Order: sequence, then structure tokens, then C-alpha cells
Amino acid sequence: MPLSISPMSATLLLAAALSLAFVVVFAPQRARRPSLLVWGLGGLVGMAAIAVAPNLDLVILLTLAIALLHAALAGRRALAARLRAPALAVALLGVGLLFARFDGPPMLERFAAVGLVAGLAAALGVLPYIHEFDHEELTTASPVAWIAFLGPILGVVVITRGRELIPGAAAAFGAMLIGLGLLNILWGSIASWLTEKGTSAWHYSFMADWGLVLCAFGIQVADGQAAAVLTLSGILLSRLPLYLWSRQPLRESVQTDRPINLLAAAMLAGAAPFAGFAARILLLRGATQIYWPLALVIAIGLLLWLPPSLRLGRTLGVPRGRQAVGAGVTLALSVAIGLYPQPILSLAGL
Amino acid sequence: MTIAAAIVAWAGAAVITLADGRRGLAVGIAVVAIGFGALAIANGGWLGGVALIAGGTVSAIQLARTGSKDWGLMPPGSTPRMILAVVAAILSLWVAASVTTGPGAPLRFASVAVLGLMAARLLQAQAASPVLTAAAALAIALAGASGIGDTGPGLAPYVLGALVAAGASFLPIREPGGA
Repeated sequence: MPLSISPMSATLLLAAALSLAFVVVFAPQRARRPSLLVWGLGGLVGMAAIAVAPNLDLVILLTLAIALLHAALAGRRALAARLRAPALAVALLGVGLLFARFDGPPMLERFAAVGLVAGLAAALGVLPYIHEFDHEELTTASPVAWIAFLGPILGVVVITRGRELIPGAAAAFGAMLIGLGLLNILWGSIASWLTEKGTSAWHYSFMADWGLVLCAFGIQVADGQAAAVLTLSGILLSRLPLYLWSRQPLRESVQTDRPINLLAAAMLAGAAPFAGFAARILLLRGATQIYWPLALVIAIGLLLWLPPSLRLGRTLGVPRGRQAVGAGVTLALSVAIGLYPQPILSLAGL
Repeated sequence: MTIAAAIVAWAGAAVITLADGRRGLAVGIAVVAIGFGALAIANGGWLGGVALIAGGTVSAIQLARTGSKDWGLMPPGSTPRMILAVVAAILSLWVAASVTTGPGAPLRFASVAVLGLMAARLLQAQAASPVLTAAAALAIALAGASGIGDTGPGLAPYVLGALVAAGASFLPIREPGGA
């Protein structure tokens, strides 16, 4: 079986590696760097294996292996709670794969699409399968590892290979992704704005970003795929490092309104000139090509990012020392990608 | 032969669904592995079948030799689980024999039944052992199901499935509060 990696997966793997480097080099003072590095590298190896796996059977089995290893980490939730959602995702993806391979009426391909989309949602931890979240849990053992670190590669691989498996149900597959995406945009952004706990607000904000990604993948035109890649890069390179750096100020209940907080809020909200802005423009352009009322709905959804982003920006506190350097590098990188996204898109084969 | 193997695989999944004790779970995972191993062997995948049986055996032995030595089969209140096991078999039979077409109906039946039952067990179980055993059975079922269709999966899914099934039983169970 030939091993190969798609340009999109390779790009996201590179972004994940960069994200891990940021997180370890500019780690918060109380963070355990060796633990972050070891588990981050472990996750990266798992993601690389998923990316090069020659078929979806191996992808699903590798996901189960990663879920078991992740559940074995010492966490605040019971093992059953930590393993339940990812293992259920594996079962759903498996059922989807089975239905895709069965010979029979065309309706089977639609059932396969349901299984694949439901399995992906369960693996990521987005609606309707939000992972149980404990705001005091270490990030490496928490569901954030799935939604923000492992999820991008898994999402790309399942969506691209799933689409090839069920060509007859590609439209239904895309429609389900868009529907689930809109639901997550709405739920994630409103919950991120209104929830009481700061760490939960960050968790919901990842869900909202995934809503954009699912919509972008559902829009099966080049602009949609480009928007998905840029949003996923934003999750890995911007949102995840900022989340980790906000953990300490959140524990100390520190909230500030300095320029750095406003800049971080603008970046999280996808304002110009940050990378999220380019992703949103591409998404709206792609949606307009398919069906303009969809672009209108997405545009209204995008407005919901502003209040939670202002809240999340404040939770960063006033970064000092290496964290200040890290925040500066993250902002600068996001501006660079926002102003000139072509290198990333070319790397992803778009 | 293949029909018997498919029924054996379903029976193993039903035992995992109905058991709470480690010995009961060990028997369940061993029976699932024998069922899918026999199906793989019957389809010409000798090495893959042997790998699945080996993985299930290791998992069963590890389950049986550690922790409490209880069976926990059909504890009080397990009637819904029993109904689930029977309904899953009927639905899977309908999908494998009536909805879908082509050769390999026993493997289709076993795959759908075991995946469905293990998904339900994952959602229902609160303790670590049943969840890990369900995950191990999932690995065996997914590896066995790779033989469906004209995909020519090779040995890799079988070996990986066996490794995951065996490895799941060796994972340290770290529960909050040291349980």
C-alpha cells in the first residue's frame, strides 16, 4: 500500500508542529514543558500517521489508538468519560465506512454520509457531541486536545476521503457539513459569550471556529477549501497558543483592557488584517457562488464573533516575558497570513 | 462456517453488553475475536484472522488476570441491555441480508451488529473496564470489517486492530480520586 500525504494535510501538519513549538518555547511559567513537549510530539506522530494512512480503515483504527492513549493520561474526568466520545466517534465513522462499501440502493451512500459526519462531530467534540469539559483539567488531557490539535488533520482526512468514498451522496454530505457548521457557529459563539467560566468560553470559541470550517468544507468550491485551510491554520497557530497563555490569568481572575488584549480580540474575531479576515472573505465568496442566501446567513453568524472575542481577549491578562514575545509572534504571524495568504494556500495545493 | 462465525461474533458483543465483571468481559472479547478471526480465515485471510484471535486472546487474558475476579453477567436491571442485544441482531440481519446485496452477508451482519452494540455499550457504561473492552471489540470489528468490498486492505488493518485490542487492556486506569 503506497504511503502518501495530501498537500492540505501536510500544510496542517506543519501548522500543528509550529503551534507545538510556540506552545513549548513560550510556555506559561507554571506549565510543565517536558510534559507538553512529550504529549505534543506524541499527538503529532499520531496525526502524521493519520495523514499518511493509505485508507480510511487505518485512519479510524489509528484514531481509536490515539483515543485510548489520550484517555490513559491522568485527568480530572473518569476514564469512561474521557474515552466515551472519541470511541463513539470511531464506531460512527466505522458504520459510515461500512455503509459506503455496501452494495445496495443509493440510499446507503446517504446513510454513510450521516455516519461520517456524525463520527467527525463526535471526534472533534462539536455539536451534537460536545465532549465533557472540566475547566481545571490540564490542556493535554482535556477535550481541547481533540478540538484544537488533533482535530484539524483528522477533519481534513475524514472529509476528503469520505467525499471520495460516496460520490453519489456528495451533495448530501456537503449539506450536512454546512448545516452542522451553521449550528456550531451559532451555538459556539453565543455560548462563548454568555457562559460563566472563562475556560469554557474558550472551549466554545473553538466550536464556533469549527462551525466555519465545516461550512467551508461543505461549500465544495476552491474558495471554500481555502477558507477551511486558513481557519484551521488560525485554530492551530493563533487560538490554541492564546488559549494556553490565558489559562494562568483565568485562574487568577485577571482581566485587562490593554492594547494587546484588543489586538488579540481583533485577531480572534477575524478582523482585518488578521488571517481570520481572509478566511471569512473566501468563505463568503465561496458561499455566494453556491447560493447567495447562505452567504447572508454566514455573514450574520460572523457578527456573533465580536462579543465573545472581546471577552476572550481580556482573559489574556498582560503577557510578560516570553509570553509577551509569544503573543507578539502569534499576532505578527496572523497579520502576515492575513495580508498574504497565498504561500499557505499554495502549500495546501489550492 | 461463516454464518456460525458471524453469530459467534454477535454473541461475544452481546456478552460484553450484558456483563459488568471482568471475567464476563474477558469471555465476550475472546468470543468476538474468535468470530471475526474465523470470518477472516474463511475469506482467505489466514494471517489476519490469526492476528485478530491473538489480539482478542491477549486482551481476554489480561482482563481475566487483573482486578476483581467476578463475572457480573446480567446484573439486576439488565433487561434493557438484553433487549438491545436481540434488537441489534434483528436489525443487523435485516441490513445484511435484505437491504444490502452481494456476497459476504455474514461479515456484514457481524460488523454492523458488533459496531452497533459496542457504540451502545460505550454510551451506557460508567466504569473503565467495560468501556476499554468495548473499545477493544470495536478495534477487532473494524479490522474484520476491512474485508468488506473489493478494497484489498492487506494485513495492516488486522495487525493494527489486534494491537489496539491487546493494548487497550494494558492501559493504566487512572481515575480521579485514585479509584
